Amino acid sequence: MIFGCYQHGLDQMTDMKQQTTNTVEEPLDLIRLSLDERIYVKMRNDRELRGRLHAYDQHLNMILGDVEETVTTIEIDEETYEEIYKSTKRNIPMLFVRGDGVVLVAPPLRVG
Amino acid sequence: MEISHSVKERTIAENSLVILLQGIHGHVTTVDLRDESTALGRITNVDAFMNIRLAEVTFTDRQGRVSQLDDLFVTGRNVRYVHIPDEVDIKATVEKQLQLIHKVRYFGGRDKGRKEFPTARHK
Repeated sequence: MIFGCYQHGLDQMTDMKQQTTNTVEEPLDLIRLSLDERIYVKMRNDRELRGRLHAYDQHLNMILGDVEETVTTIEIDEETYEEIYKSTKRNIPMLFVRGDGVVLVAPPLRVG
Repeated sequence: MEISHSVKERTIAENSLVILLQGIHGHVTTVDLRDESTALGRITNVDAFMNIRLAEVTFTDRQGRVSQLDDLFVTGRNVRYVHIPDEVDIKATVEKQLQLIHKVRYFGGRDKGRKEFPTARHK
């Protein structure tokens, strides 16, 4: 049984007394540095999310605020066989994301 | 709002963000499933594995066909997103759920009741 294990990300939110460390020791600590910042999340099935990271856990379940989801699809033109990239966006004020769909987490990409 | 009777589920929930979903029992939310269908309904129960039970559901399947369901059970693996309603205060909800778990854990007082985490002395 694990007793007193620390909760990534939730401590900052709840201020409950848990063991936390301020040094970066493992990859999840890098995500901790992005708490309350805007981030870019690449997900499975050609989806991307851009939003403010409110909370995360060890499974990479995340709570994102003011999030924009982009779904990219490729259509093949029947005659020319060229690939047409189409993206659909939608905005959601507060979203809980299940961690098993997450591929990568990064600071927002700067276009141009 | 109800805490699970299982020690294992309580521990899993306490150490992950599922605890937030457990705190929004009773709220009307949209659950986006892995297969692109969506379920809009009132959450009646979420367990530690993110299995979600909803009531009074408007279910839109992948093709866009809409149907009304009295009761829907979604396996945790099939959840992609849960839309958190605006009226939910995330921090307060998580703290309240953690407090409920602590209440269950320390039921009976310090020296009474079965201990969830035995001290070294009792090992």
